Amino acid sequence: MTVRRSLVQCMVVAVAFLSGAAATVGAQHMLVPMDDIQANHLKAYGLAFTALKTGTKTEWFLNYRGGAFLLPEDPALRRKAALDGITVESMSDATLAGIRKEIAAGNMDAVALEKAPRIAIYSPPKSPPWDDAVTLALKYAGIEFTQIWDDEVLKSDLTKFDWIHLHHEDFTGQMNKLYLGFRDTPWFIEQRDRDMATAQRNGLANVPAVKKAVAGKLRDFVEKGGFLFAMCGATETIELAMGAQNVDIAGPYSDGTPMDADADSKMDWIHTFAFQNVHLEMSPGVNAMSDIDGHQVNVPARRQPLGQFTLFNFSAKFDPVATMLLQDHRKVIPDYYGVTTSFAKAVLKPGVTILATEDGAPWVKYIHGDYGKGSWTYLGGHDPEDPQHNIGAAPTDLALHPNSPGYRLILNNVLFPAAKKKPLKT
Amino acid sequence: MITVGNFVRALALSACVAITVRPVVVHAQAQDQLIQRAIDLENAGKWRDAVTAWRAVISAGQPGQGVLGLERVFSQLAQDDSVLVALDTLVRQRPTDRMLRGSQLRVLRAVARDKDARDAFNEWVRLQPHDPTPYREFAGQLLMDGRAALADTILQEATKSLGSTKELRIEVAQLRAGLGLWSEAAVAWREALANEGYLEQAAQYSLQPAPMEKRDSIRAILRVTPAPMSVRKTLGLLEMGWGQPREAWRSFSTLAPADSAFDTWSDFASDAERATAWGPARDALAAMLAARPSGPLATRAATAALNAGEPTAALAFIATGGALLPPAAARTQLLPLELKALSQLGRARDVEARLAANAPQLDPAVVKSYARVVAWAWIRNGQIDKARAALTQATLDDEDEVTAWIALFDGDLVKARAGLRHPTEVTPDVVNAMALLGRTKSDSSRAIGAAFMALARNDSTQAAQRFERAADEVVDAAPLLLALAARIHVARRGDGQAIPLWQRIVQQYATAPEAAESDLEWARALRRKGDAAGAVDRLEHLILTYPQSALVPQARRELDIARTGATA
Repeated sequence: MTVRRSLVQCMVVAVAFLSGAAATVGAQHMLVPMDDIQANHLKAYGLAFTALKTGTKTEWFLNYRGGAFLLPEDPALRRKAALDGITVESMSDATLAGIRKEIAAGNMDAVALEKAPRIAIYSPPKSPPWDDAVTLALKYAGIEFTQIWDDEVLKSDLTKFDWIHLHHEDFTGQMNKLYLGFRDTPWFIEQRDRDMATAQRNGLANVPAVKKAVAGKLRDFVEKGGFLFAMCGATETIELAMGAQNVDIAGPYSDGTPMDADADSKMDWIHTFAFQNVHLEMSPGVNAMSDIDGHQVNVPARRQPLGQFTLFNFSAKFDPVATMLLQDHRKVIPDYYGVTTSFAKAVLKPGVTILATEDGAPWVKYIHGDYGKGSWTYLGGHDPEDPQHNIGAAPTDLALHPNSPGYRLILNNVLFPAAKKKPLKT
Repeated sequence: MITVGNFVRALALSACVAITVRPVVVHAQAQDQLIQRAIDLENAGKWRDAVTAWRAVISAGQPGQGVLGLERVFSQLAQDDSVLVALDTLVRQRPTDRMLRGSQLRVLRAVARDKDARDAFNEWVRLQPHDPTPYREFAGQLLMDGRAALADTILQEATKSLGSTKELRIEVAQLRAGLGLWSEAAVAWREALANEGYLEQAAQYSLQPAPMEKRDSIRAILRVTPAPMSVRKTLGLLEMGWGQPREAWRSFSTLAPADSAFDTWSDFASDAERATAWGPARDALAAMLAARPSGPLATRAATAALNAGEPTAALAFIATGGALLPPAAARTQLLPLELKALSQLGRARDVEARLAANAPQLDPAVVKSYARVVAWAWIRNGQIDKARAALTQATLDDEDEVTAWIALFDGDLVKARAGLRHPTEVTPDVVNAMALLGRTKSDSSRAIGAAFMALARNDSTQAAQRFERAADEVVDAAPLLLALAARIHVARRGDGQAIPLWQRIVQQYATAPEAAESDLEWARALRRKGDAAGAVDRLEHLILTYPQSALVPQARRELDIARTGATA
């Protein structure tokens, strides 16, 4: 290498460094906008999570630019943002002061995020022939989680987690009644055998008994201050399992006995989170659990077409929790099916907060509430970017949906437990 | 022997037959006219008149045809349920008529009277308890609607009452595919195809949507030997649909060269030619040629072989074709291919000899037009002077492409630039040459000429070395020359030799357009050798250093994969 070439290279490197540095000169903060400017909304949540994990002070600007994040100027975070294709804007103290003024004047608020939540996903050890939108979202965003299953829930201390996610599991122990169509498939047989072995290991009579016990432990987790987020069939069935602690609601193929003929009247709705006065589907041959789900996708004669749901608007200053769960750059989102797609209004408990609903429909899509010291959130449907999702279909490639408004709802829930608790004003 | 008595008897019999048959013929003609009229009205969009016409068809004793017509017309009028009135009466009269029953089920479902459809189905089953037809019809309709779970219930009922679903193999196969149970669907289709070979298209249609990761299991099931011809054909059709013509041919090639196989090969060869999948096309045409030798087939096979970059194989087909075609046809059809093949092989003397032997029968202008082919033959032979001499016989201007290539080989970049401005064929070599000529301001470079010369002679080892050497001489195009050398190494599976070149580009020519590409290729090579961490480093370097590069989105995708530790 000649001296001349070395000099040229040095100059190139210096110019590159200076031009990169120029963008951040005088900047003390990084704003991660979450409006349409953002190139990758989903990975932006991962950036905020990474910041929290390293103990970096982070703020969530509710209702400001789609729910923007404020991070301190930090080379490591800036590097991660660049690698993940996350749009970041440099900001001086003076500009930030202007933003804070704007937030104070409107239906916006700044919420401090304290620490990265410890996350667990309740998911079977071997991947079932369907995917889980939350697992997909967390993996894509680069958010760490622990996978737990029945044995861990029954035997370990769940308080080591801040947030537990449930997805497709049927807590009535009937494997989503897939017995009707899949009883001879290898994956179904494997799951049934695995669940029966769990029952034996834990001294429980059958699979429905295991799932009821798991549901009970999860309710205790919430009661003691945990955050539970459920989607798809888990929403409906955990409610049924919690309400059916003293009644047989499982079909004969799962526990050898038919459902209790008076199961409806014997359900105990005191110990459920969201629903009451639900009517159970008494026929073991009908692929539905109850009248909680408004869409009943697996019962052709009852199936309702998909529409679109609208996110509610809450007061950021008075209802920060609901506002956090609804941060999005879209207010109207196309609906998507799941084993449980929506929740009938008629069976909602009075204290439940409705976060999203379909105009004119007798169902809602997204609900939230408190129980004991903790809280729960239910989002209907299976995969926001795969409206028809069929068993065996390929998992959604989130790299093709980096701005998915539906997936943002999931990730709002992940960060929600990180928020510093403020005394509620209402 | 015909006697008078026999003749009279025969005459009487003929008269009787004529008397009885005539009204039937007349009646059938009248029905045909009624149907034709109804179809004409329907085609003309005169829906109300068409309703009347189809009703007349029913009254004339063709209820099946008439009801189907009414079903179509009422559907156009958005009055699907109106056909039910006619159907109720007709089904009472002919309770086991498949066409009427099928129509009844279809219409009831179309108007969302699912319970009535189920009752109608139950009634049909009650009347024909051992017949699979009701199950087949209803399950098939439900599958068409995508209501796989309900179709499954119907098929389970069929198993219970018929003892098995043997008679409903197709529906079972479609059901499994509809439910996304691809392996099970492949097994069912295999069974169905073993019994009814004409189902290849249906099986292909059903299995085609299988996602990428499920296709290998389908392949494995359909490949189990011994596989009937229909199964192998189905696999071939699937492979073609999945964009894998080589795999498709692998399946078709196992068919015995009977008539039907020949037709399959012929269809495949045409498809492959259209898709420019020249290798598989050549193989199929070769098999056809062996089964039924013919001149046109030999010509097509030679063309496919040439396009596949196999001039030696092309010459073999040309020899076969030469024996099958009349001399004049061989001269017009095969001689151009032969000269091109010989030229690609650098057999310049043979090109000249074949041209000289045929010259008396060719138009002098045609002979002249082959000057370029002769010149290329000498170029590939490494004898530029002879190539130049060959071109003197043709009247070529300075901007002729072959002249430009010779100039490039000579290192005359100015002349090369002028001649390659509008290439007739955009091959990778042309693209590389144009990129280089556009990049450097140099007017001459012996090193570049030598590198392209080696490339033209298919000497990739020399070409890579000479491009690398040329980088030291032509500094303003150095990164491009190094990238070209690296590409040749990769094509020869020489990642180890390519990596130092990419490294040189990234480190010494960090602002060159090739730098981002080098990072990406370097990362891919590292993943290929199992170094996921190294690949992550390269991809991160690319994204952070060249944020404006068009390769960044691709790099991000590959970074996500590399971070999971996955190697290529």
